[in-house]
Amino acid sequence: MSSPLALLGRAGTYLLLSLAAFVSIFPFFWMVAGATNTSADIIRGKGTPGTALWDNIVKFINSFDMVRVLFNSFLLAGLGTVLTLIVASLAGYGFEMFRSRFREKIFGGLLLMLSIPFAALMIPLFVLMANFKIINTYQAVLLPTIASIFIIFYFRQATKAFPNELRDAARIDGLKEWQIFLYVYMPVMRSTYAAATIIVFMNNWNSYLWPLIVLQTNEMKTLTLVVATLTSGYTPDFGVIMVGAICATLPTLIIFFVLQRRFVEGMLGAVK
Amino acid sequence: MIRTTSRWRNTLAVALTGISLFSVTAASAAQITVWCWDPNFNGATMEEAFSRYQANNPDDTIKIEIFDKAAMEQKLQAQLASGATDGLPDIVLIEDYRAQKYLQSFPSAFEPLNSHVDYSTFAPYKVELATLNGQTYSIPFDSGVTGYFYRSDLLAEAGFGPADLENITWDQLIEIGKAVKEKTGETLLPIDPTSSDWIRIMLQSAGSWYFDADGNVTIADNPVFKAAVETYQRLMAAGITTPVSGWTEYTGSFTSGKTLSTFSGVWMTATIKANPDQAGKWGVAPSPRLDGVEGASNASNLGGSSWYVLSSAPEKEKAIDFLTTIWAQDVDFYQEILVNQGALGSLLAAREGEAYQATDDFFGGQPVWQNFSSWLAEIPSVNYGIFTEEADTATVAQIPAITSGGNVDEIIAAIDAQVRQQIQ
Repeated sequence: MSSPLALLGRAGTYLLLSLAAFVSIFPFFWMVAGATNTSADIIRGKGTPGTALWDNIVKFINSFDMVRVLFNSFLLAGLGTVLTLIVASLAGYGFEMFRSRFREKIFGGLLLMLSIPFAALMIPLFVLMANFKIINTYQAVLLPTIASIFIIFYFRQATKAFPNELRDAARIDGLKEWQIFLYVYMPVMRSTYAAATIIVFMNNWNSYLWPLIVLQTNEMKTLTLVVATLTSGYTPDFGVIMVGAICATLPTLIIFFVLQRRFVEGMLGAVK
Repeated sequence: MIRTTSRWRNTLAVALTGISLFSVTAASAAQITVWCWDPNFNGATMEEAFSRYQANNPDDTIKIEIFDKAAMEQKLQAQLASGATDGLPDIVLIEDYRAQKYLQSFPSAFEPLNSHVDYSTFAPYKVELATLNGQTYSIPFDSGVTGYFYRSDLLAEAGFGPADLENITWDQLIEIGKAVKEKTGETLLPIDPTSSDWIRIMLQSAGSWYFDADGNVTIADNPVFKAAVETYQRLMAAGITTPVSGWTEYTGSFTSGKTLSTFSGVWMTATIKANPDQAGKWGVAPSPRLDGVEGASNASNLGGSSWYVLSSAPEKEKAIDFLTTIWAQDVDFYQEILVNQGALGSLLAAREGEAYQATDDFFGGQPVWQNFSSWLAEIPSVNYGIFTEEADTATVAQIPAITSGGNVDEIIAAIDAQVRQQIQ
C-alpha cells in the first residue's frame, strides 16, 4: 500500500507530464484546427475546428504545381537518403574495420569539419555548382549533402558493436568483403539503418537554405520552399499555410511511426 | 528490362528535341524573369503590367518567381556575393530601406536607368533613395505614404470628426486620445514594442533619418530623433495605447475594434478593407507632425519597394524597354493596379486618372487616393543609408527603457553607441 505522500508525488508527476504533453501536442492541434478555419478566424484566435478545410486545400493545391512540388520533395529526400546511407555506412564500416596509420587523423579531420557552419560554406559551394554548370538541378541539391559527416560518425560508432566473429565466420565461408558488407553487415545493422533513415530523411525533407539558394525556378521548388513562400506577402492566408504545414509534417511523422521501434533499437545499439 | 530502357531512351530523345526546339524559339522572343515576394501584390501588378506590354510585343513572355521576402534577399545576396550570375533574374524587387545596401555593396550589379527614364515624373523621395553617385537605378514601385487610419464612427461618439484630425501634431493627437479615453473608455492606438515603425515615420516626416546625406550616424546630435523619442514616450505615458506583439495581433487590434486607429503606410488599406462589415466606418487623415521641430511635415513614409534591373540580365534591353513603357508612363496601368491590388504607385501623373479621383465609400466617401497622392508628393527625401536595419535593432532594444519613462538623453546615447559599434 502506497503512502499518501507517494500518491501525492505520483499525482504531481502526472500533472507535470500532462502539462508537458499539452505543450508538445497543442501546436499540432492548433495546426490541424487552423487548417479548417479561414485566415480571419485564425487571426481572431479561433482554436476550434471550422468549415473552411476544403477551401484551404483547394487554394493550397492551386497556389503551385503541387504534383511537381511533391515529386521534387520526395525525390530529393528519398534519393538523398538512399545515397547518404550507402556512402555513410560504407565509410563507417571502412573506418572501423580497416586499420591504417592515418585512420584516426582522417576521422578527426572529418569531425573537425562538423564545426564549420553551413553559412560559411554556402557561397563557395554556390560558386562550385555554378562552375559545374549544375545550378537549378537535383544534383546541385544532393551532392553537398550525401557525404554527411554526422551519419558517418553514427555508423562508425554503431559498427564498433558489430561482432568481429561474424566477419571471421563469413570469411571462412568464402565471402568477399563486399559480400560481407551486403549479406552480413547490412542485415545485422538494420536498426542503425532505420534510425539513420529517419534522421537523414527528416533533414533532407526539411532542408531549406541550400535548396533555396541553388534552385532557381518554380518547377524545381520543394515543399519546404513553397510553404515558406506562402508566408510571404503582406496578407498571408494562414488557413492555407496550415494546410501546407500539415503536408510538410506528415511524411516525417509517417516515416517516424513506421520505423519507430527500429529507431529506438538503433539508438540503444544495433547488435544484441 | 530492355524494353523499358528503350522506351526511356525514346522519351529522352523526345524531351531533348523539345528542349532544342524551345531554345530556338527562345532566341527570337524574350522571356523576362522577375523575382518578387507577394503573389497577390507585387507579383500580381507585375503580371498586369506585362499583359499590357504583351499587347504590342506578342512574342515576349514573363516568368515571375515568388519567394518569401527574407528568403529572396538571402538568395540574391548570396548569389551577388558569389559573383556567379547564372540564374539571376532580369528584374528584381528590392525593399526601399535596403536599396542603398545593395547598391553600395554590389557596385556594378545593377543597371543605372537615367538615360531611359525621366525621373522627375516620380515622387522625389522614391528617386532619391535609389540614387548613388548621381546615378539612379530603380523604377519606383509602391509607396508607403503614411496616413492616420481611424474608426470615424467610434471617434464621432467621443465628439471628434475629420476636421479635428486634419494637419495636427502628435501632441494634439495625444490630447484627442485622452479625451476619447475619458468619454468612451476606448483605447486609441495599438503599439508594438518590438517595432520601430513609428519612430521611423516620425523621423522621415521631418526629413531626418538615423543617417545624414553622407551616411554618417546622426542619432545623438539629432533634434528630430530626440523629438521622436520624446513624443513616443509621451504617447506611452498618456495611457492611450495598448501593447500588442507581432503583426497579427497588431492588425487584429484595430480591425476588431479593440483600438480605434493606427498609423501606417497606404498599403494597410487592403488589410482594413478586408473587413466589409466595417464599410463606411473608417476615415484616413494625414499623419501627425512632430511638435516644435524644424521641417516637420504631415507626410511620411513606411516601407515601399522598387524594381531594379540587373546588369548581368540576359534580357536586359527588353526588361528596360518593358519597365519604361509601362511602369514609367502608363497612367491607365496605375489605375488598374490601384483598383485591383490596392497598389499606390509612385508615378505622380497617375493621380490624374479616374480611379485615383474616385471617392471611397468604405472611407465614408473621402477622396482617399487623391489625398494619399497629395501627401506622396510631399514626403521629405532622406538617405536610408546602408545600416537602417542595425539602427532599427538598436532602437527597438531601447523601447522598454523609453516606455518605462527613462531619461531620453541617456537612451539616445545608448542607441547611438550601439549603432556606431555595429557598423564599425
